[in-house]
Formats: sequence, structure tokens, C-alpha cells
Amino acid sequence: MKPLTSLMHSVWIAENDLRQSFKSVRHVIWSLLFPIFMMFTFSFRYGATELDIQFIHTFLIPGIVGMTAMFGSINETMSIVWDKSLGVFDRILAAPVSSISIIVGKTMSGAVMGVISALVLLIVGSTLFGVSFVNISAVLLIIFLASFSFTGIGTIISGLASEPREAMMLSNLLRFPMMFLGGVFFPVEAMPMPLPYVARVLPLTYVTEALRAIQIENASIVFVDAMVLLVYTVGTMLLGSKILMRIMTRL
Amino acid sequence: MENAIEVKELTKFYGSLLAVDHVNFEVKGKEIFGLLGPNGAGKTTTIRMICGMLRPTSGTVVIAGFDVSQKPQEVKRRIGWVPDISNLFGELSARVNLEFMGKLYGLDKKTRRERIDQVLELFHLKDRQNDPVKYYSKGMHRRLTIAAALLHQPEILVMDEPTSGLDAQTARLMREIIIDLNKEGRTILLTTHQIGEADRLAQRVGIIDRGRLIALNTPEQIKNSTEGMRALEIKILNDVDQQRWIPIISEAEGVDNVFLAEGKIRVLSKDLPQMIPTVINLVDKHGGKIENISVAQPTLEDAFINLTGKSIREESISKEEYLKRRLARSGLR
Repeated sequence: MKPLTSLMHSVWIAENDLRQSFKSVRHVIWSLLFPIFMMFTFSFRYGATELDIQFIHTFLIPGIVGMTAMFGSINETMSIVWDKSLGVFDRILAAPVSSISIIVGKTMSGAVMGVISALVLLIVGSTLFGVSFVNISAVLLIIFLASFSFTGIGTIISGLASEPREAMMLSNLLRFPMMFLGGVFFPVEAMPMPLPYVARVLPLTYVTEALRAIQIENASIVFVDAMVLLVYTVGTMLLGSKILMRIMTRL
Repeated sequence: MENAIEVKELTKFYGSLLAVDHVNFEVKGKEIFGLLGPNGAGKTTTIRMICGMLRPTSGTVVIAGFDVSQKPQEVKRRIGWVPDISNLFGELSARVNLEFMGKLYGLDKKTRRERIDQVLELFHLKDRQNDPVKYYSKGMHRRLTIAAALLHQPEILVMDEPTSGLDAQTARLMREIIIDLNKEGRTILLTTHQIGEADRLAQRVGIIDRGRLIALNTPEQIKNSTEGMRALEIKILNDVDQQRWIPIISEAEGVDNVFLAEGKIRVLSKDLPQMIPTVINLVDKHGGKIENISVAQPTLEDAFINLTGKSIREESISKEEYLKRRLARSGLR
């Protein structure tokens, strides 16, 4: 099959997935309300008597934006499990489309959803708290890398889960510890031992750290974190693709 | 006539479970071929392998000269698959669903638009084309599923239980559609667990049981293969529960099999003259009065029972085994 045709197949699969997700308006609203809610809840720093704009500016919003990228991409990739259980996945398998195109398409939709969700939070945060990002292209790069690495994790979960409920449990098992240990609400340095070591294994830690480093203009941290995220992206994508490929050929 | 589908020694293991066991058959070009068997017999697994959606453990499938395992894309382009359940994108409209399928099958924009209009018109879905398909009735779902399978104008249509779960009227409409599609020159491979459907629709039938193909011929030839087996139809007067007579009549000497068919008790025997008086006496002894008794022509169901030793309506495998097979087939376990 020609590479361009394969790529177009992926684009159409991704487009169709996103179309399906955005058709369910309630689904989109609920998934975005959660991080917005968290943003408001944690905007009052523990012990503080008034809003700490510096904290919101350099800590909270970058953390929440990273977390939203995680929720957006993993949620969207979960559509693979729904597709499998509803038989929709079979419809694509029965079409003259290569397995690689299917995996790339599913990955694209996950990553795009991650980027869109994170951007919405970025806009909401910037508008409500007057937060401005000093280097928007660096922010976009980190959000992009984050969304792809979380999509990789999503494909692994989707490949391993036998049905949607199991997928939800598996993803919560990863997402919630990651949310609290990935430095979204509490700084990793302030965590008791050995939690900082655990945090260093989680990709979200590097996302939040990089987004904060952009705010305080620490380019070396941003570079290192971006490299770690790139390794995560390649690793999770390869593993996720391998698992999905096994499902598609049903060996 | 050239073979449209050639299945050779097709075998599928799900772990240690043998779902399809060295199945051989061919479907001739432009014929309607029915794969008949009870639930869990291996019909769906067989057609999934034919459509290139499931890799066989061993054996080959050749579609229009292309080996499925070597040229899956060529095969998929020539096949239209109609699953037993509607598996379209529920949130999206019929038109958007068809657009997506048309793109995946490589139809250009103009052809796509023309064909979508054509199939929507043909299957009376034009009025509801922009509604999300999750709001469609079961019959509409089935029509749309066929429409989606026809969009790329395949030579071969593979239909899994095409009338299953439909009301009588929609099922009749579906059978008419199948016959029309065949008249247009399409080869049709369908699976069914309904004997009457295979008898009415298929020009040739393959009977599959526990993963093995146990008969392959025209419905007439299969019926004639009952080797001296004759059928007797009995109706007991004023008895709503005809079922209760089955174990009673089974006791009679010379009776090979008893089951209910279309509200009548159907008794199979190789020795009808000896069996008739025994059955009449038994019914009388148990307080029943025979309203109607007649010797009947052997049907495909009689042949099925003769071949498998059981009615297709009986569960040939335990519920547990059936669920295990379904889970294994869906790749979930």
C-alpha cells in the first residue's frame, strides 16, 4: 500500500474518532470540568489566606495543564476498548487498511485530544487568573510530547484490557497515583522518601516540571525533561503498538 | 463456474480450544452458499478467517485467486462483510458512517457521494440519513450494515446471521434483498442457525457442528441423504403443552428422534409402519387424543438431526462452553 494512502487512512480513522468524541458534547464537557474544578479547588494554597498569584502562575496552572493532557489523551485512546467491545474495531479490521494505519490513526486521535484538552485549560487558566506563558512554543512542544507519551500509555492499557470497565480501572490505577505523585498539586521535592523516586518514574512529573521550568525560564530543565518525554513517547508507543498489533492479528 | 471462495483445511485454535477443525469447502461464483449450524459451532470464526479479520492456526482461504494470509488487502477489497450485530458508529449519522467507510475503501469524493445516495435510496434510509444511527431501529441498523458493505460494490458478500433477531416482516424483506443481490451477480456466503432460512435461500449448504463440516450439498441432496429415515407429524388435541409429549413418545420402540417443529410433534424413524401403532397406543395410554397425524417429507432439519443426532435448537455445547468460545473469538480472553 502506498505510504500516502496509509497516512490518509490514519488521518480518516483519527478524524472519525474525534468526530465521534466531539459529537458527545456532554462527554467533552464532563471531561474538561474535572481539571477546571481541580484548578479552582487548589487555587487556594493550603494555609494561605488569599490567592497566591505567583503560586498559580508558576505551579498550579502548569501542573493542571499537564494533568489535563494526560486525562485527554488516555481517555481518547480508551475508545479502542469501546470499539472492541461494540464490534466497531472489526469494521475497520475488515476494510483494506493496514494494521499500522489503524495504530497510527488511533494514536493521532489520542494525541490530538490531549493537546486540545490541555490548550482549553491553558486558555481557561490564562483568562481567569491572568496567567501568561513566557514561551508559548516551548509550552506547545511539551504538551505535544506529553500527549503522545500518554497516548502510548493509553494504547498499552487498551491492548491489555478485555473490556471497558477493566480499562477504566486500569487507567485509574495509573492516572490517579500519577496525578498526586506527578507533582501536579504538591511539589515532588516536598514529598517524603521514597515518593520522589516513584515520582521520577512517572512521565507526568517531567511534564509538570518542564511546564514550570518554562515559566521560570530554566531552559536546561526544559531540554532534559523534553528528552525524557521523547524517550517515554517512543517506548510507550512501541510497546502499545506491539500489543495492539497482537490483538489485531489475534495470533 | 469458477470458485469465488476456496477454503482448505481451515483450522482455528483459541488456546487449547478447537473452534474450527480442518474445514474444506468452496463457494462457486454467483451462488448463495449457506453455512448452517447451531450457536458456537464455528460459523462466525470461519467467516472471520475468510474475511481476513482473524488469522487461521492452519489451512488456507483463497478469495478470487488471492490467498487471504498473503494478500489480505486484495481480499478485503473484494468482500463486503455484514456482521451479525450492527457495528456502526452510534454517535454519527448514516451518511457520515458511510462517508468514512467509503474513504477506507478508497472511493473518491464524487463516487462516494453517488454511491452513498444510491444505497441510502435503495435501503430506504434517505429520510433519516442525518440522524445518529444509535436512534435507528434494529431493522434500520441491519439495512445500514448491508448498505455499508455494498458501498465499494464487492463481488462477494459475507453475511453473518442476516435475519437473526429481526421481526418476521423485516426478516422477509432481508431475504428478498439477499436474493436480489444474488440476482445482480454477487456471490453470497451466509451463516445461519435457522434451517428454514438455509433451505429457502441457499443453493448449497454446508452443515457445521463443533467446528467440523459434516455435510456439504444442495438442500435437496442433503434432505435425500436421510437414508430411509421418515418423518411423522402429530398434533395432540386440545393440548397447549405439546412439549410434554416429547419424552413420552421418545420411549416408543423404533423412534429415533422427537422434537417440536412449527407447533407439531415431529417423530423420526427408520421403521415407520412399526412405530405408528406404538406411538398411537402410547398417546392413548397417557390420556391424549390425536387431532392430526401425517407422514411428512424429510426436511433439512431432519437431515441435520440424522447427521448430528440432535436438534439445531438444542444447545449443542454447554452455556459455559459457548461463552468461552465467544470470549475467545472476540479476542477478549
